[in-house]
Amino acid sequence: MLATLVTAVISGLRGELVRVEVDVAPGLPVCHIVGLPDAALSEARERVRGAIRNSGFEYPLSRITVNLAPADQRKRGAAYDLAIAVGILVASGQIRTSGGAWALLGELSLGGAVRPVPGVLPMVATLARAGYGRVVVPAANVGEACLVTGVEAAGVDGLDDAARLVAGPRGRRAAQAERRPDLAVSGDGRTRTAAMHGSDTRAAPTAAASRGLPDLGAASDRVDLSDIRGQAHARWALEVALAGSHNLLLVGPPGAGKTLLARTIPGLLPPLDDDEALEVTVIESVSGRLMRSGLRRDRPFRAPHHTASYAALVGGGPHLSPGEVTQAHRGVLFLDELAEFDRNVLDALRQPLEDGTVELARARGSIRYPARLQLVAAMNPCRCGWHGDLQRACRCGDGEADRYVRRVSGPLMDRLDLRVEMPRVPPSDLVGAARGESSAVVAGRIAVARGHALRRAPHRPNAHLPGAAVVSACRLKRSQEGLMRDLASAGGMTARGVHRVLRVARTIADLGDREGVADEDLLAAAGLRDPAALPSLAA
Amino acid sequence: MTERDAWLALASVSGVGETIFWGLIAAHGGATEALRAVASGWKPRDDELRIVRQTRAAIVEAFRDPGTVAQRVGSLGLWTLTPLDRGYPPRLRVVDPPPAVIFGRGDIDCLTAERTIAVVGTRRPTLIGRQMAARISTRLVEAGAVVVSGLAIGVDGAAHAATVAAGGRTVAVIGGGHAHPGPRAHRGLGRSIVDTGGAIISELAPDTLPTRGTFPRRNRIISALGDTTIVVEAPGRSGALITARHALEQGRSVLAVPGRPGDPSVAGCLALLRDTPARPLTGLDEMIVDLGYDTLPEGETVSGRLSLAAALGLLGTAERAVAERLVKGPAGADALVSETGLTPPVVSGAITLLMLRGWIAAMGPAYLATGPLLAADLR
Repeated sequence: MLATLVTAVISGLRGELVRVEVDVAPGLPVCHIVGLPDAALSEARERVRGAIRNSGFEYPLSRITVNLAPADQRKRGAAYDLAIAVGILVASGQIRTSGGAWALLGELSLGGAVRPVPGVLPMVATLARAGYGRVVVPAANVGEACLVTGVEAAGVDGLDDAARLVAGPRGRRAAQAERRPDLAVSGDGRTRTAAMHGSDTRAAPTAAASRGLPDLGAASDRVDLSDIRGQAHARWALEVALAGSHNLLLVGPPGAGKTLLARTIPGLLPPLDDDEALEVTVIESVSGRLMRSGLRRDRPFRAPHHTASYAALVGGGPHLSPGEVTQAHRGVLFLDELAEFDRNVLDALRQPLEDGTVELARARGSIRYPARLQLVAAMNPCRCGWHGDLQRACRCGDGEADRYVRRVSGPLMDRLDLRVEMPRVPPSDLVGAARGESSAVVAGRIAVARGHALRRAPHRPNAHLPGAAVVSACRLKRSQEGLMRDLASAGGMTARGVHRVLRVARTIADLGDREGVADEDLLAAAGLRDPAALPSLAA
Repeated sequence: MTERDAWLALASVSGVGETIFWGLIAAHGGATEALRAVASGWKPRDDELRIVRQTRAAIVEAFRDPGTVAQRVGSLGLWTLTPLDRGYPPRLRVVDPPPAVIFGRGDIDCLTAERTIAVVGTRRPTLIGRQMAARISTRLVEAGAVVVSGLAIGVDGAAHAATVAAGGRTVAVIGGGHAHPGPRAHRGLGRSIVDTGGAIISELAPDTLPTRGTFPRRNRIISALGDTTIVVEAPGRSGALITARHALEQGRSVLAVPGRPGDPSVAGCLALLRDTPARPLTGLDEMIVDLGYDTLPEGETVSGRLSLAAALGLLGTAERAVAERLVKGPAGADALVSETGLTPPVVSGAITLLMLRGWIAAMGPAYLATGPLLAADLR
């Protein structure tokens, strides 16, 4: 007997429809999965067999053929488990579909529990567009599935729940099937029971958590701006950078507070608007990191370590997953110790910084991920970190400091808008200095300034304005055009440099609630240094 | 073959140092005779004068074709000076023994200028040391002095660059031949030294590679060329201390910029002040008095330099606050904000305006006073 069900696969950030056809025919008891499955998918037959047996159903002793269509698309992952298992149940006559098409997504455990899978949000969206209004998803993913309008998403904890839903009120043989408690895996069974009582599977207490083990992998907590002493200049530069989404480079010796300052960023970023939130949530969903149900409203802040590989940063890898630049979409990518990153990895940042996307070309076609991010980077001025310090001499050899800085290629430096030199703060200042403004106050100003920019150009913070748009947004007076010419010729600025200053000046004016850009804004913007003109102490 | 050609040829043979050169000259009465004698198999009796086979072969080569060096000098556009010449700088004759040949590029008269001061210091100065070198040099230019240094990175480069910027003349004594003119980072500086009426000189044949030993040796020429040697910043082991010691041995005076005891970057200067007759440099005005430069040499007048007070009077309040702070010493943007009490955007704007005027410059994380602010006194 033949059963056909619908599920989906992730390609890039979009879902694509996959049909699961299951044929149960007389013959030797084997199970074949065809249609370009990968290793994880081939192992589905073992999970499916265990799940069916341990959910009180019977695994048919017949020849089972599972076909995943379209047959030419490579399929991977375990999200098809649920559709295959339900297909087998239908094809072997253990349940009857109640009519109406169900789409199913979910991974199975041997005990029959349904585990969450990545990418549910875009997959459900695709299913909805294809006209499948009823989707069975893992209970942990039901929050994101519900974000898609016009879809009836049912969260299930186990294969038996899914079978019950698909069978509808009439075809309930599953309910009568007897549990075989002797075979239920105790750990799994408990989780499932807890889940069936309505609590989140993830919330189920594990032995470790009940003993109060700290979560060692968790990101360290946010820092409030008021915790940072001194560094008035750097704080202001950070405020400007975040208000206009300008890429920022922090340069300073160890202990200057570069990393600490960067850690205040999440608390300063304005929340995502509806469109942005959906984009970011889709990316989180595909990355399998969506921890909460519902839309993600806070801007991403990603801080990969400097040993990050090419694939980790820009995306790719054997299974084509989004990289850090995509996960930082609409948010901030913080690269600490910029010069320590692999050169190839850094150069790969040029396309996302320029176009806001990453295109990964593969033999079987290319995938484009969004990557509209703000880059905040920090680095030492040289290997020993003391180059240019007023009191302490640098221990690096001749020309070593220049070589260190040049590890970051010129084209990447060109795409950084602001450079801030952070001096070491003397310990005496740390104790005595007054507390600065708190994050809440600064975040308020940033939100207002961003509001001004977004009213001029939706979804385009000042840093992303094209050259012509910047000039018109600045509304320069005749005298100011003269000033800009002076600045440009004195500083040997390129056209790119002039636009950089204008964009930053526009942001400074936005922070000051000014319609047009004032002279002081232009001068202040020009005083923030150009990262491309890097410190050369050769003379 | 003239005696001078033979002199140039013998002095340029690789392997012939001053011991062999002057030994041969003393033994044979002249370079022509010395070349001929060695070529015909003469053996020194003195052990110190032992000539290894390679060197001997090179001398024979030089004897057969004495014009090679002169050709090379011509093709590089250099001039040469030997103690045989009337124009040989008297200052170099105090060196014992004097450099056999000086290969030079640029204005030969710099070496015999009335006022010459050597400004030396570490290759890895602090920003303060770097700026001190620039201020001292700028002030020396105003007093009509030629600044002599070694074209090394660090203090040397700062002294040369400030001299060129202030419109003065400067002499760079390099540690290799002219085909290897100093550190790569200073190629441009070297060109501007020559273009602005200064000179680059070396006692080594044009194709000699600089080595570990050549740098300390050229220091004796730097100290001899300067009537006074000023040591700007020198840690405990610095080539600048060798220069200072040469200066004292040559009967020249030495000024050392003092610093805080215990600060490693000035340990060498403090040691000079304690252990030698070197005198402390306590201020730019005092320096001018100590050098005896309070009156300008005849025929020269002070250029129309803006006085500091007049310069500051041209500025707006924010700029003036920033400029006044920078006159006291280099500072980063953050220090400017906290010490002037102005807001970061205002300080940033003032920095832009002062940079536009060319009165301050950015160096690494800090800004420093230049131009009319540079020659202001330290207080």
